[in-house]
Amino acid sequence: MATSKFFCMGPVGYRNVAKLLGGELASWAQFENSSEIGVFSKLTNSYCLVAIGGAENFYSTFEAELSDYIPVVKASIAGTRVIGRMCVGNKKGLLLPNSTTDQELLHLRNSLPDSVVVQRIDERLSALGNCVTCNDYVALIHTDLDKETEELIADVLGVEVFRQTIAGNILVGSYSVFSNRGGLVHPHTSIEDLDELSSLLQVPLVAGTVNRGSEVVGAGLVVNDWAAFTGIDTTATELSVIESVFKLREAQPSAIVNEMRASLIDSMT
Amino acid sequence: MVLYNFKKITVVPSGKDFIDIILSRTQRQTPTVVHKGYAITRIRQFYMRKVKFTQSNFHEKLTTILEDFPRLDDIHPFYGDLMNVLYDKDHYKLALGQLHTARNLVEKISKDYVRLLKYGDSLYRCKQLKKAALGRMCTIMKRVSPSLAYLEQVRQHLSRLPSIDPNARTLLICGYPNVGKSSFINKITRADVDVQPYAFTTKSLFVGHTDYKYLRWQVIDTPGILDHPLEDRNTIEMLSIMALVHLRAAVLFVIDLSGACGYTIQQQAALFQSIKPLFANKPLIIACNKTDLQPLETLPEEDRRLLDELAKEAAQTSSLMLVDGVQEAKECLLTMSTLTDEGVISVKNSACERLLQHRVEVKMKSKKMNDVLNRIHVAFPRVRDHKERPPSIPEGVLAKMNQTVQPVTRKQTEKDLENVNGGAGVYSASLVKRYLLADDDWKNDIIPEIMDGHNVADFIDPDILLRLEELEREEDEREAAAEGEDDEMDEDDLGPEEMEALAAIRKKKKHLLEEHRRKKRTADNNPIVPRKFDKDQEFSAGRMGRHLASLGLDPTLALERARSRSASRRGRKRDRSVAVEGDSMDIDQPSKRLRSTSRSKSRAPSETRPGEGFKDSAQKMKAMKIGKKAVFKRNKEARKGEADRTIVNLKPKHLFSGKRGTVRSSYDQWDPLLVMEVKFMFHFVRYKVV
Repeated sequence: MATSKFFCMGPVGYRNVAKLLGGELASWAQFENSSEIGVFSKLTNSYCLVAIGGAENFYSTFEAELSDYIPVVKASIAGTRVIGRMCVGNKKGLLLPNSTTDQELLHLRNSLPDSVVVQRIDERLSALGNCVTCNDYVALIHTDLDKETEELIADVLGVEVFRQTIAGNILVGSYSVFSNRGGLVHPHTSIEDLDELSSLLQVPLVAGTVNRGSEVVGAGLVVNDWAAFTGIDTTATELSVIESVFKLREAQPSAIVNEMRASLIDSMT
Repeated sequence: MVLYNFKKITVVPSGKDFIDIILSRTQRQTPTVVHKGYAITRIRQFYMRKVKFTQSNFHEKLTTILEDFPRLDDIHPFYGDLMNVLYDKDHYKLALGQLHTARNLVEKISKDYVRLLKYGDSLYRCKQLKKAALGRMCTIMKRVSPSLAYLEQVRQHLSRLPSIDPNARTLLICGYPNVGKSSFINKITRADVDVQPYAFTTKSLFVGHTDYKYLRWQVIDTPGILDHPLEDRNTIEMLSIMALVHLRAAVLFVIDLSGACGYTIQQQAALFQSIKPLFANKPLIIACNKTDLQPLETLPEEDRRLLDELAKEAAQTSSLMLVDGVQEAKECLLTMSTLTDEGVISVKNSACERLLQHRVEVKMKSKKMNDVLNRIHVAFPRVRDHKERPPSIPEGVLAKMNQTVQPVTRKQTEKDLENVNGGAGVYSASLVKRYLLADDDWKNDIIPEIMDGHNVADFIDPDILLRLEELEREEDEREAAAEGEDDEMDEDDLGPEEMEALAAIRKKKKHLLEEHRRKKRTADNNPIVPRKFDKDQEFSAGRMGRHLASLGLDPTLALERARSRSASRRGRKRDRSVAVEGDSMDIDQPSKRLRSTSRSKSRAPSETRPGEGFKDSAQKMKAMKIGKKAVFKRNKEARKGEADRTIVNLKPKHLFSGKRGTVRSSYDQWDPLLVMEVKFMFHFVRYKVV
């Protein structure tokens, strides 16, 4: 292979094999030497969008794990590769910012199944991925989003919508990730906030980090109900927390307070 | 994160090399040519520079050495004692002290000889002084060369020490020589320590790393220890002792059950007893090795009893630091065989677990704990409604999850295709390959973007035009509704007075607008006229009267007051006489003469008056014209009068910057009047006045 100097995917393949055993998986990945993979990809229960890169390594990481079950689509939004931050979607729909071109919209409509509604919305805050976060039932949105946008999110994605902040941050999409089975939020979220958010979202929540201590969990992690991908810098402890809270590979969130408690305390203080 | 990095200490040259380096640097980096014909100050300067330069180089190089080597009092006591054992603390300190003294001596020599050089009266004398200075400096360095050689050896040894982090999670393996400590570390880490069937194969500390519970553990293999008093221990044994003393680690005391190492169990137990104080406050495990040769069960009775006793003591030392519960003796006695791998992992796990438990207990008491409490909390949702929110996992994934044996086949990915077809940058993957369309033949169809002047993408919905029409109709209706509501004021409804006011307002507005435009248009060329002389804005009593009247106020009082206060403060004579007459005054026929009549009736300026010296009005007009012309230029230049010869800017920037002719360069010596001429010439040329 003519190795591209931007890619360093060796460990990914190795770890993928190790992680595939249970059918469910958590994989390490990296996009052009950046481990903020949530910026360059979008994963839902019915499709996966991946940025168009210089080589196929990043795409193939997703393709190898997912393409048997859901379409894995190479896409750009508004001519950029930061697609994970630009769009928001779930099983039922995909919302794109106003700056998406007609051709990109057409490409996505052709690539996604008909059950997924693709909609472009007029919203001043165009980085929808940072402002909105959702699973198939509930969405948290930025407090300054338009009323019309809120209605569109509820209609197209079929979710209940809540205006919320996470640990004082208004960019809910950057600082939280959740699927229908669990969620990970900003490490400074207080216990009371965690309980409140958990009741809103109706999934177990944990405050944690990815990518060796990064607070922007939305950028370091993409997850759906049976698979998760994290940046290559993610440590084993972080990964085990992710596996537990998202119930991957038969893990249960309660493991965090039981088996993993000691190692978490020892590694964090 | 490496706290102690001894690998970056710079090389210490030997005494001879040191001198060569410094002298050749002096030769290369200072001037080399001097003649006796030069002024003596210059010659002195030349040699002083050489002396000073040499000294500063010595100083710099010695300082680097002194700073690079760790100071024994500053580093972690583990490393401090380790260095004491390996290199002898006194020797080490002495060597560094000598270098420090040498540095000071060199400095002193340089100072002395620079002072002497100030009195050098010839090139020859100066040269001799320099030579003496450099010679003495080199002698001093030659004297410390044994220290330099010693420090170089220390440096080489230090850089080869394993990088042990004294604060990390650590397992420490100790015991008699040849009991299988190195075999154990080789089993649980990738340290690859040399294992040989004779005592003292391991002569220094070795470090490996292993994983347990998602954490990284540092495992340290120590040289074997013999059972004799501390004073008799050799350097190699002392390394083990130092590690035991200073590292807060879990200790694995390895015992050879078979006695194949050449020491009986009694001897090993005796060693345990003699180094027992070192185990205080550390989780301790007794690992019985070589069970393949001698299983624990078939051990002779008295040996067995000895082991149980050891286990009991180990449990005691461990229990002291446990807050809850007592450590069971049998938990401290574990068996393993590094040959057959039996029990190795359980020994490692139980050691790690015990240390982890210990560390967590300590940390739970610290203040830092409060910051991370939220991260070991899982928030479970309170039920807020009875809606089901099941996960949506595709059938295929569920089926695969239920499979116990995973197929190992690997399907072909885009990356494989890329590798086959020329690699990254050459291979260009098709974006349409995976389109989900009703007919696969449509995938490669070219879709026009613009058709008949319309953007095709705007017509994705078949009924878009209908919906647009609907929207427009709706908007029209809304507009029509909005129009009925807001009524503008009509002029017809106004009364005559209001009409008048409106007209006045409009007139004023128009006037202001015109005035503004006029001023704006001609502003560049208009002379700035002081308000006092501006016809339209002057502060005159008449103007004030008119203005007050237009506001509907009686101006007489204000006017009177203004006049009474002008010029002389005494007021006017005639006014005072008015007061006497009082009410009898008739308004229609004022008895006093108004001020305006004190001047003759209005007349044109051209009118001649007797005594003015003009023949007729034509002559006066001509004279006035000439007079005006005479002052025109002066006024334009804003000069006070003929005598005003001020030059505001003596050296205008634009005349003094950039290239100039060769004729005159000192402009400031010019006659100011000439300068003024030049200035105006420029001015006129610029504005095309001439």
